[in-house]
Amino acid sequence: MNESALRVRGLRKQYPNVLAVDGVDLDVQRGEVFGLLGPNGAGKTTTLEIIEGLTDADSGEIRVLGLDWKHHGSEIRARIGVQLQSTSLFNKITPREALTLYGGYYPKARTANELLELVQLTEKADAYHITLSGGQMQRLALAMALVNDPELVFLDEPTTGLDPQARRSLWEVVRRIKAEGRTVILTTHYMDEAEALCDRLAIMDHGRVLTIGTPPELIAQLEIPSVVELSFEGGAPPVDGFAAALGTAVEVRGDLWEIPTPDPKSLLPKLLEAAETARIPYQQVHVRRATLEDVFLHKTGRSLRE
Amino acid sequence: MLLWRQFLMEWKLYSRDRAAMFWTFAFPVLMLLGFGVMFKGGDTPRLSVVWVKPAQLLAKDEALLKTLEKFPTKLLALSPTEAEAKWSRGETTVQVEPTTDGFRMKVNSYLVAQGQMTAQVVQQAFLISQSELQGQPLPKLIPVSMESPGHAKSANYAAFLLPGLLGMNLMSMGLFAVGMVNVSYREKGKFRRLAVTPLPKWIFLMGQVLHRLTVTLIQTVFLLFVGYLVFGIENHGSYLLLTLVMVLGTACFMAMGFALSSFADTSETYAAISNLLFFPMMFLSGVYFTLDAAPKWLQQSVIVLPLSPFLKALRAVFNDGSGLATHMLGLGIVATWAALCFGLAVKRFRWA
Repeated sequence: MNESALRVRGLRKQYPNVLAVDGVDLDVQRGEVFGLLGPNGAGKTTTLEIIEGLTDADSGEIRVLGLDWKHHGSEIRARIGVQLQSTSLFNKITPREALTLYGGYYPKARTANELLELVQLTEKADAYHITLSGGQMQRLALAMALVNDPELVFLDEPTTGLDPQARRSLWEVVRRIKAEGRTVILTTHYMDEAEALCDRLAIMDHGRVLTIGTPPELIAQLEIPSVVELSFEGGAPPVDGFAAALGTAVEVRGDLWEIPTPDPKSLLPKLLEAAETARIPYQQVHVRRATLEDVFLHKTGRSLRE
Repeated sequence: MLLWRQFLMEWKLYSRDRAAMFWTFAFPVLMLLGFGVMFKGGDTPRLSVVWVKPAQLLAKDEALLKTLEKFPTKLLALSPTEAEAKWSRGETTVQVEPTTDGFRMKVNSYLVAQGQMTAQVVQQAFLISQSELQGQPLPKLIPVSMESPGHAKSANYAAFLLPGLLGMNLMSMGLFAVGMVNVSYREKGKFRRLAVTPLPKWIFLMGQVLHRLTVTLIQTVFLLFVGYLVFGIENHGSYLLLTLVMVLGTACFMAMGFALSSFADTSETYAAISNLLFFPMMFLSGVYFTLDAAPKWLQQSVIVLPLSPFLKALRAVFNDGSGLATHMLGLGIVATWAALCFGLAVKRFRWA
């Protein structure tokens, strides 16, 4: 039990048109929730699929629970749980049946009832899969990933496409999985999700890991822990002359002007005065702490949602 | 144990798909009942002839009408305008119109097979009526008897059709059920979900294959039972040979489904590819009718497709009670297809 949950060195995967994974190193400790955060196409899913044994890497070294795929494939499969980005089931199978069926594939399995309770699907236990909502299907997929009582659980974009309420209820389940002492590795392109769930995370872009750390660490790495926002109604005006007058960078994002600053207290009076002089028609002023979104912006020069 | 559980689950889920089940089991039976009744043997079918009423009925006209009554024809006498209306609606097969010195006959070019036969009968009746009018001795006809190719007793169309439907069942099981399911499982990532479990994948495939085999077995028994009950169709040959031919056919079409599924990435592509094979085989392999009237090159080229030789062998055993000695080449073709498809499937089969 001393080995780390996951150790990856120099992982590379070239697809015909794109270098999907470009030298990824990862270390995940047991019991932590580790996140791969990045935009679509960053290489998160490919990285995960190589680690799960679904795709072969071109080169690199992987140790899952201290084991390697070449010699211990079936042992690894028996000890990990995987939720793929989309889980397709027969339309008319019930959650209870699906869990029993998949449980039968493993040397040891948790009971369907226990799992249904864990993901709060007990009342839908005997309903056909096709009648479940998106969030319920996702929770069932999560339960299926837990059917073998795994030590290490992989969740690929577990909340993509869910409404806010369904996302929160899924987060709750992930926290319970962690509380049961399992290691969780998940991918997401929602920075609030990464911040809410992950003990540590790796920010990925273009097949590379840009930075790794706990969310507070990553934010603290930025030398601009705060952002002042001016909001406008119906689109923000150009900033050219104003930024020059203020003597600091102003970024336009949607209806906002964002002014990153290490020292909001001294910036604010100057800013408001300059805005008054230039007759800037802003509606409101906010000061907020920098987020992972800002970390990503700072590291890549673009927003996560672009 | 795992395999057995997988097999039971396949059946359980299949039994919930009522529509698929209905079509799988009821469709062949409906075809048999429908076509079997439509072309029921026994009394000879009556050939319909439209007779255009002349302004004045002459002796030659009366003589032809009288003779035609003795033939298995159904005469419909219409006025020229009525006859023309019926003709332009496309409802007339053959139309006979008396003229002052003889007759005119039109055959519907859309219904050549039926029409030519009817026209022949009218020609015969005409010759006989002419002889009668002129007081000459009547020409004698060659007696005709109906018999199946293997001299078997039950020689109605349903008996011909039933083995054809058994072959269709096998073909649609392989090409549609097995092949299509594999493509859609791959497309939807179901195989990938299985790939992250320790379940050996052959168990999953084997469970599927066993399920399909039992479905086909039940289908076959069901169809034979209905054929016996409704039309009195019996197997005239050895059950051992019948089983042998069926097993070979099943292996061939199942392997074909697996092989074909490796060439398509999406269900849509697969549907196109499989139809390309399915429809020519269905129409050209003698499922519903023999290909005697087709051009020689077509007859000779369809024998390289497996369904045609399979059905010939099946009918030889089932309808004629003969052995397989003369069908070795045909069965060899089926076996070659089975082996080729199996090899191709093993080589090309993909999980993702």
